[in-house]
Parts: sequence; C-alpha cells; structure tokens
Amino acid sequence: MEYFLNQLVNGLCQGAIYALMAIGYSVIVGVVGMVTFTYGEIMMIGAFSAYYIFQALGNNLPLAILAAFAGAFLIGVIVYKLCYEKFFNAPRHISLLCTIGISMLIKNLAQIVFGPETKPVLDVIENRTFTVMLGGIRLDIKLLQIVVIVLVIVLAGTLTLFFNKTKWGIALRAVSQNKDAAYLMGINVKRTALIGNCIGSGLGGIAGILLSIYYYSVSATMGGAYSMKAFAASVLGGLVDIRFSALGGLCIGIIENLGIAVSAATFRDVFAFGFLILVLLIRPQGFVSKKGVRV
Amino acid sequence: MRRNRLWALTMCGVAAFSLVACSGGTGAGTAGDGGNKVIKLGGLAPLTGNYAEYGKGFQIGWDMAIEEINGAGGVNGYTFEIEVKDTQGDAVVSSNMATNFAEDEDVMAILGDFTSGACKANAEIVDRYGIVQLSPSASAPDYASMSKYCFSIMGRQDSEAPYLARYILDKYLGAKKIAVIRVDSDWGLSCYDNFIQEADALGLDVTVEKYASGEKDFSSLITKMRSIDPDVLVVMDQGDSVAAIFNQADAAGWDIQHVALGPGTSEQLINQLTDPDNLIVTSPFFFDENDEVLASWAKTFEERAGFAPTIHPAEAYDTVYLIANAVERIGDGEITREAIQQQLDQSENTGITGELNFTEDGDIIRNYMICGVQNGEWVVLEGFDYVNE
Repeated sequence: MEYFLNQLVNGLCQGAIYALMAIGYSVIVGVVGMVTFTYGEIMMIGAFSAYYIFQALGNNLPLAILAAFAGAFLIGVIVYKLCYEKFFNAPRHISLLCTIGISMLIKNLAQIVFGPETKPVLDVIENRTFTVMLGGIRLDIKLLQIVVIVLVIVLAGTLTLFFNKTKWGIALRAVSQNKDAAYLMGINVKRTALIGNCIGSGLGGIAGILLSIYYYSVSATMGGAYSMKAFAASVLGGLVDIRFSALGGLCIGIIENLGIAVSAATFRDVFAFGFLILVLLIRPQGFVSKKGVRV
Repeated sequence: MRRNRLWALTMCGVAAFSLVACSGGTGAGTAGDGGNKVIKLGGLAPLTGNYAEYGKGFQIGWDMAIEEINGAGGVNGYTFEIEVKDTQGDAVVSSNMATNFAEDEDVMAILGDFTSGACKANAEIVDRYGIVQLSPSASAPDYASMSKYCFSIMGRQDSEAPYLARYILDKYLGAKKIAVIRVDSDWGLSCYDNFIQEADALGLDVTVEKYASGEKDFSSLITKMRSIDPDVLVVMDQGDSVAAIFNQADAAGWDIQHVALGPGTSEQLINQLTDPDNLIVTSPFFFDENDEVLASWAKTFEERAGFAPTIHPAEAYDTVYLIANAVERIGDGEITREAIQQQLDQSENTGITGELNFTEDGDIIRNYMICGVQNGEWVVLEGFDYVNE
C-alpha cells in the first residue's frame, strides 16, 4: 500500500506537468482552431530561456519562469506568423504541415545554437524530502514535487481567472467558440488568435522549465516525447477544453506511474496511449460532457 | 535587361558549380596517380542526441590524429581526411550513413559508430561491401565476430561486466543486495547478461529493472527499487540517463552508493550530477596527470572540445593511427579496402589508450580499474593490480 501511495505521488507530480502542457496545448488548438506540432520545441525554447537566466543570474525561479514564458511567447508569434496567419482559409493540412516543418527547423537550429549536449539544471529547488505518516503508512514527498504541483495549480487558476474575468480572456473564449460570431461582435479574430497562440505557447514554455527542473536537465531534443503526451492529454479533454485537458494530463501521469509500479518502465507509453485509446473507444469526445464547452 | 542579368547570374552559378565539382574529383578519395594522394575515411558518430558528448569527442579525436599525421608529412606519401556523419545514436540512421560510405569508392575505411547496437546493425553492410568498420567504443562481445571487416578497440562486455560484479560490488564495496537499472538495448542486455552470470556465481542478490532509451522520468523505478532496500544502485547506460537516474534517486532522499557501467570517466557526467562524489565506475583507462604525453593530449583535447576527455575520444584518436599503421605496412602496394583489412587483422599496436592487439574476432581484451569522484574530480580508487591483491 505504501509503495502504491508513493507511486501515486510520483504520478500526481508528473501528471501536474502533463496537465500544464495540455492546458497550453488546448488554448492553442481552441483559439487558433488547428493542431500544432511545434509544441515540444516551444517547451524546449522556454526551458532554454530559463536555463540561461539560471546561468546569468543564479537560480532565480520567478525570473526564470518569466523568461520561459517570454521566450516561448515570442516563438509563438513566429509560429503564428509562419504557420497560421496566411492559411486561415486554406485547407487545414497546410498549417499542419507548416508546423511539422517549423518544428524540425527550431529543433535543428536549437542544436546548432545551444549545442547538442544535455545541459544540467541543478539545485534550483532545495533537495528536501518530507515524510508524512498516514495511519502507519509512510509517504515521501519531495519539495520539488510540492513546488511543481503548487505552481501548476496557481497557473491554472490564474488562467481560469484570465479567461473568465478579463476582456481579453472573454474575447479569446468567443474566438474559440465561434470565429464568425466573434468577428460579427467586433472582435479582431486574427489578433486574438495570435494572442491565444502566444499565451498557450507561454504556458508550454513554463511547462518546459518545470520539466527541466524536475529532470535536472535541458536539451535541444527534449520536446518530442512530451509534445505527444500534451497532445494525448489534450485529446482526452476534447482538444479545446482546458479543464478536461488538465484532467487528461493528470490521468495520464497517474496511469503511467501506477502501470510501471505493477509492470516495467518500458511499458510507460503502452499505459499512456492504451488509456487514451480505451477512453476514446468508450467516449470519442474525450472527457468533455457536451459539445461546445471550450477554453 | 533584368532577364539578361538573371541569365548571366545563373550561368555564373553553373560555371562556379562546375569548377567546384571538377576540382572535387581530383582532390578527394584515394588518388594513386602521384598527384594529391589522399586516403579518405568515413566517420560515424552521434553528434546529436543522448550520446552527443561522445560523438563530439570522436570527431575531435579523429581530427587531432589526422592533423598530426598530415602535419608530419603523412604515411607513405598519403595524407588522410575524414568525413564525419551524424548518426544521432540511432542504429537505423547509422546503417544509412554506413551504406553511403560503403558505396563511395573513395572511402577506404569506416571509423565508428559509438553504440554496439549501431555497429552490429552495420556489420552486414560492411561485410557486403568489403570495407573495414573500426569502432572506438563497441563493447558487445558478439560484434567483432560478425564479420572479418568489424573491429573494435573498446574491450568487451564479457570482461567489464564481470569485473563490475566481482571487483567493485563484491570485493571493493562488499555489497550483497544489488539494484540494477539498465537501458533496454542490445548493449544494455549484453552488459546485464555478462554481469548476472558473475553475480550469480558470487551469490549476489540482484534485482533488475529496464527502461526504454530516451526515458526521462525514473521516479517510479526509483520508488520500486527503494522498496527492496538494496546496498548499491547500479546503472547500466552510457548517455544522459545515468545522471538522470542518480539525480532523481538523490532527489527522493535515497542515500545509497551509486555505481555505473558504461559512461567511463565522463566530465559531463560529473557536471550533470547533483552528488558526483557518490559515484564509482569501471574504466579501462585513466588520464594520468603525471604522464606528460597523456596530459598534453588531454589538454589539447579540452581546449578544442570545451570538456575533459574520457577514454572514448582517446580511442577514436587511436583508431586513426591504427589505419595509418595499416597503410604504412601496405608500403608500396595498392591501398585498397581489402589491403587495409588484412593489415589491420594482423596488426599489433600501442596507442595512447594502451596495447591494441586484436583477438581473432577483431576486438581486444582490456583490463579494468575502479574510478570514483572526489571533490568533483575523477580519481583512481583501485588500479589494474587490484585483481591480483
């Protein structure tokens, strides 16, 4: 029991990072209306932005988070301009192919600019473990895990407030729900889509820094595997609903870790994507309860 | 007017391309016409991906050797050049690159690749095309015997893995209960198979878990291993995962001795670890500061690479000299792929990494020592004589 509870904590933490990735991904897909394959590279750029802040100014986490958001936000602008802006009325596969090309370009440029080797991200958060006794069951929780989970909750809460309480947030929701109606209501759809794409990218950047802190390293090729997990979590949430996408991320993290607990680490992706397939077989729309619940 | 200009520019481009293409025909490859005599080598190395540190080390090691040989006037009138292709640590990519080199008649021998898996995947290709593949680092016992064209100077896992069990775990650490986390690859399987035979003979209690190459999250595995309360945590891998596993074990507050099989005395590994002083590794070679030649070589390498060398770039350096020695022994004879294979097969050499005498299979048997980290620096904990003590 103790063993499974500790694995559950591992899963919760990893799931929290997946949840943040999925939230950012869903914002992009919801507002822009197209799937992206650049998300892994956007996370990588966020992680490297933070890495260079750590190098220049020491382990200043708030500043690094800002840098990660800003770095990824800027890449979001570039991706939007190159992949989406000109192709809103073109067949969807045009943008899709563009994002695949830009993803390769960013990854290869990053290997040239940042170098191909993995860079260490050490001691950003103090290495401390808290032991909690639950009715005779010993639970070890790392400070790092607590920081990651709290950060994800704060960011998700801030984003929810932004979407519900600000003019920009409401405009983003309107564009996500119906672009034509939003246009008729006087919203600048293209500019709003740009902002949405950049906010989603910025969240991806922050997920990137959390990944690099959690795994103590950053590399130019780190994004690929995670972008698939973000996509899977987002699909579980119906692609465009941030609450259910976050839930999807959390579920994948927990399922993966509990799956490994009873089998082997080599089956990680089998559990993650097996769960995705199972859910989609039963509920093709994912976790969302009704059509139209967006961002 | 504008069209004429465009046409003129296009023709200039075509002319320039033609000139470059023509000049390339006489300068590259093995030219036995008494003009510019160059022996071209093909280098396979993971310049990107998980093993990028080692790939970059290979490239610099090869370049250093070639610059030295060419600077000294070459061998029998031949100078050397190498074209290095990035295999990304991927056996499929490596096989494509190996085929490219094999089909290029100017390439006289292939140096690399880094992983045993990639080298084994290329074995059938080099055998079919009749070209030497000399790896600085492949250690799978069954690699070199796959073809008479396959060679390696790393030493074999059936020597190193049993050494780990007998001399590090049993004799040096006195450990009885061992947790092994290994990469799920040809190399990882070979390491473990050779390790477990010796561990079983010694009566060690071993629990093993494996992971897919490229895995980043080891928290579940660490929780799993921790639950069996072992004396030592052994990681069998060569890339970034070694640091990731030990760091995540430290982060979990798990106070346990770390031992690694595969990375050697990697400087990058020290930089990536949160607690490097807790690490012990096997190594067939160590850069002794008191050895002037080695110290000078290591200094030059570090200036060029930006990080201290492991055995891997030193072995890459040695592989070029092995080819050069083979060419020297061919003498006035024609330099062919077959002639290089024959001379290499019969050769006995000494490189900066020690004696390089090939077995009948085409690899070499090395001795090992125990290295560890003290105050962030690699040190020899027990030398080659430890096996006799």
